[in-house]
Amino acid sequence: MKDKQAPISAVLSLIPGLGQLFNRQYIKGFVIFSLFTAFMLVFSDFFQAGMWGFVTLGTEVPRDNSIFLLSEGLVALIIISIGLVFYSLNIRDAYVNGQRLSQGKQVNSIRGTYHAILNEGYPYLLTGPAFFVLLFSVVFPILFTISLAFTNYDLYHSAPANLADWVGLETFKKIFSVDIWRNTFVNVLGWTVVWTLVASTLQVSVGILLAIIVNQKKLKAKKFIRTIFMLPWAVPGFVTILIFGGLFNDSFGAINNQILASVGIGPISWMTDPNWTRIALLLIQTWLGFPYIFLVTTGTLQSIPDELYEASVMDGASAWQKFKQITLPIILYSMTPIIITQYTFNFNNFNIIYLFNGGGPAVLGSNAGGTDILVSWIYKLTMQNSQYALAAALTILLSVFVIFIALWQFRRSNSFKEVQ
Amino acid sequence: MTSTKHPTGRIRRINTSLLLSYLVISIVIVIILYPIMWTIGASFNPGNSLISTSMIPSKATLEHYQALFQNEGSLQYLKWFKNSIFVSVSTMVLSTLSVTFTAYAFSRFRFTGRKNGLMMFMLLQMIPQFSALIAIFVLGQMLGLINNHLFLVFIYVGGQIPMNTYLMKGYFDTIPLSLDESAKIDGASPTRILLNILIPLAKPMLSVVAINGFTGPLGDFALSSVVLRNVESYTLPLGLYQLVTNPMTASYTKFAAGSILISVPVVIIFLLFQDNFVSGLTAGGTKG
Amino acid sequence: MKKLSRVLLSSMLAVGGLLSNAAVSQVNAQEEYDLVVWEDVNKGIGIAAAVEKFEAEHGVNILVVEKAYAQQLEDLRLDGPAGSGPDVFTMPADQIGTAVVEGLVKEVNADDAVKASFTEASIQSQTVDGKLYGLPKSVETQILFYNKDLIAEEDLPDTLEGWYELSQNNTSDSFAFLALFDQLYYTMGVIGGYGGYIFNQDENGNYLPEEIGLNNAGAIEAVDYVSKFYTEKLFPDGIIGEQGINVLEALFVEGRVQAVISGPWNLEPFTSAGLNYGVKELPLLPNGEHMQSVAGVKSYNISSYTKNPELAEAFLLFITNEENSLVRYEETLEVPAVLALSEHPTVVENDAAEAIALQSEHAKLVPGIVQMNEVWNSMDPALQIVMNGQATAQEALDIAVQQIISTNQALQ
Repeated sequence: MKDKQAPISAVLSLIPGLGQLFNRQYIKGFVIFSLFTAFMLVFSDFFQAGMWGFVTLGTEVPRDNSIFLLSEGLVALIIISIGLVFYSLNIRDAYVNGQRLSQGKQVNSIRGTYHAILNEGYPYLLTGPAFFVLLFSVVFPILFTISLAFTNYDLYHSAPANLADWVGLETFKKIFSVDIWRNTFVNVLGWTVVWTLVASTLQVSVGILLAIIVNQKKLKAKKFIRTIFMLPWAVPGFVTILIFGGLFNDSFGAINNQILASVGIGPISWMTDPNWTRIALLLIQTWLGFPYIFLVTTGTLQSIPDELYEASVMDGASAWQKFKQITLPIILYSMTPIIITQYTFNFNNFNIIYLFNGGGPAVLGSNAGGTDILVSWIYKLTMQNSQYALAAALTILLSVFVIFIALWQFRRSNSFKEVQ
Repeated sequence: MTSTKHPTGRIRRINTSLLLSYLVISIVIVIILYPIMWTIGASFNPGNSLISTSMIPSKATLEHYQALFQNEGSLQYLKWFKNSIFVSVSTMVLSTLSVTFTAYAFSRFRFTGRKNGLMMFMLLQMIPQFSALIAIFVLGQMLGLINNHLFLVFIYVGGQIPMNTYLMKGYFDTIPLSLDESAKIDGASPTRILLNILIPLAKPMLSVVAINGFTGPLGDFALSSVVLRNVESYTLPLGLYQLVTNPMTASYTKFAAGSILISVPVVIIFLLFQDNFVSGLTAGGTKG
Repeated sequence: MKKLSRVLLSSMLAVGGLLSNAAVSQVNAQEEYDLVVWEDVNKGIGIAAAVEKFEAEHGVNILVVEKAYAQQLEDLRLDGPAGSGPDVFTMPADQIGTAVVEGLVKEVNADDAVKASFTEASIQSQTVDGKLYGLPKSVETQILFYNKDLIAEEDLPDTLEGWYELSQNNTSDSFAFLALFDQLYYTMGVIGGYGGYIFNQDENGNYLPEEIGLNNAGAIEAVDYVSKFYTEKLFPDGIIGEQGINVLEALFVEGRVQAVISGPWNLEPFTSAGLNYGVKELPLLPNGEHMQSVAGVKSYNISSYTKNPELAEAFLLFITNEENSLVRYEETLEVPAVLALSEHPTVVENDAAEAIALQSEHAKLVPGIVQMNEVWNSMDPALQIVMNGQATAQEALDIAVQQIISTNQALQ
């Protein structure tokens, strides 16, 4: 009988707690049993309703609101999964303790169990709260968005007068089959990629360059300069972006009227010509983004030991060689994660695009404006056009794209391999 | 041994490159200060639109600042200010707490799901949180938490966790394990190690995470516009945004005044913690 | 260890407690009132007296909240189900198709006498599929505002061409005439006058969403004509785009423009800005026709999320009756849709009301069907592109009409 202790208690734990009782951990078994019973009592109705709602998305207006049913179903799914995790833990616990009994070891008393949880479970306790928050504020919205993309939820299918339905891949297909959406998607994606690459590279380069200039030994007033350089980062971004929107106004903005006029250059159509708007955006993002890189680079530069430079001077290196062979590689290597985050930040940089000129100006044959990036287009589709399912489908395409590229870059770069 | 071949030549060369550097820096300073000065000037200009505003107003007035403090109708600046402070401080505290605990776990413990967890964090921060606007709205409605600031804080904290945990974990990694070990020998529990050893040493990174938590909510109007539906419960970015987006009632000048009022404290905080940021970001952000 | 868990537990409880308290207090605030009414910004004063009377008569409490009228439907979408929405609200009548399709508004039961008390066009704008979904609040259409200090009434040109000629004397700082012709709302007047139309109608007056007249010969001629003002720099670039209205109004208030095309919403703001202005109907088009400016009807409607439908309906009928419409007019200068009032001395004697009435004779309602959304979405960018000089009228309008048709089809 003793050999079969483990498997028997595991099977018994299909009814949570019984296995523990069989392993002579009476209090533990009792506690587990009551917890699970309470769990089922409280949630079983919710589960049933949730699953029905999720599958059917409602059958009757106005009683049923498809979107609420969808989200209630998802929450039910999440809670069921949490329950399943604990359920399987319970079975495993029964098995492991059964084994210990078979091997003649002692199983933990309740006190022992308590200490065991605190020791082994410590990291889980630590990460628990954050995990809980993430689950509902990040994971749930993502699951919801994924589900939405497979429905047809939009103006014509919205509550309270209508129901939405599951339509599988139809929304995705429509992105590519409806002319106007396909064109818009391609244009917006193209500009998003260009924007991300150029803006991020610009702000990183400017930041690094300035850091090197300011870090020169003989340069005075470093602290003062650094303080001023921090200002674009410190002043809340959306304030400066809106102000820039005013400054760049074609006819009345200070840039055209005062600055360019004083140098004798005619007014530029910043806001009405998409290409000039794009240039303005790139300039503004550089203004906003370089302080952060500047600060980090400064710190990195300060941590480079002087001996490296002195050794190279002895070998007769010029300033340029010093830069190219010592400074630059060290900067790039140690700052790779931060540099990469600049790219992902700009890919999703909703604020600057939307606030500066609303993603405009308008362009022919496109549903979005001339400077819209994917996220700002998605926002407009959601809030202005009520095209919720379409926006969700685009979000998924966007996320897949970004994650794919990020993973690819991480695999390539050495720094990430250091995750011990 | 320094070369003495062309002493005067070298000094001249150094001076030119230094001069050039100062020149470049001055240009950058002007570029940085210009919009900021303009905003300050605009806030003192009469009228509502930007076409007649100039950096040095011809008829300086305090009317916009006064209007902000009057707290009526759709312009309730003081309430918004209070709301934003509450939301920002709460987000700062809660995110710093959860990030510290989680980063500690990832840095000092080996447990199942650790490696994938880190990867998940990196990936999660690439998906823009607000693209799930409708999801958050529906969640809020299901729980009856629309217009509830704590719900907004909850969402914000969730958005702060991935990136900041990654940074904090990196920072903890640079603190040598030997410190933990000697403390363990002295009989300290894991919690004690965290509280008494790691946290004091991690002050630079803590300030980075805290500041991120504070300023994050100050830059968001998309999420808050969906959760906060009453004018009284708006946060500053949302309220200020309304000041300029509704074409019929837009007032750039009031917006400028409102912006200055919120920027000043934020800038002061940044300046105070400058040095902390530099060291924190350098150590924790680099190398992963 | 113990300290940690204690701290965690108590903070969770505290948070939970705060959460529940906060949630309850938020919802309670609105539940104190029997009716929540959303009125347009700065127009609450128009119904203040009526609200008081109604409260006294029925023994109820009413909360009036001011919100931009064009965005109220958007807000209702989110606030309605959340319970923080209104019982009665206002919106531009062309949003009614959308509102009905989504089920956001409740049908209104009004007898024929009531319906007949309003102008036919305004009641029609509230009728969808033969059912009434709201009552008209005010009618408006664009008029010409001119600065009496800069130009005398006798010198006002009668035609757009006349303004074109006056504009030749523009300086970089002062303009003769400005209009937001990059927005369909204003350009429709020109397009209509040249024979363009949005949706064709069948014998019963139903709109046919597949038949669009926005790129027919007349429309193209109209847009070509108007784009002259932009390409010849008689209009500054700064008034193009969404924020253009802000710039235009500021220029007028500062006395840098002699005349602008704008709407009655500016009557009150221009007056309180101390401007010495006059109003007139819109100038004639070069082909001799009047501008078929967009006739805007604003309505009061009942939210389908209301908990007090009968009370809401009673209130609706009350504030749109003759007496209260007159009061609304006196306070906010919004011309009422009540037939009897068009002869009322207060209305007749007022210049602005007269100008609006005269122009309304040529004004046209915008179709209120759901397919209209795509029209605004596609036409405004198209017009902007033409005014920017980036495409010809023919190109831009053709593409826009294509877009409208295909998007509306894809959405069915």
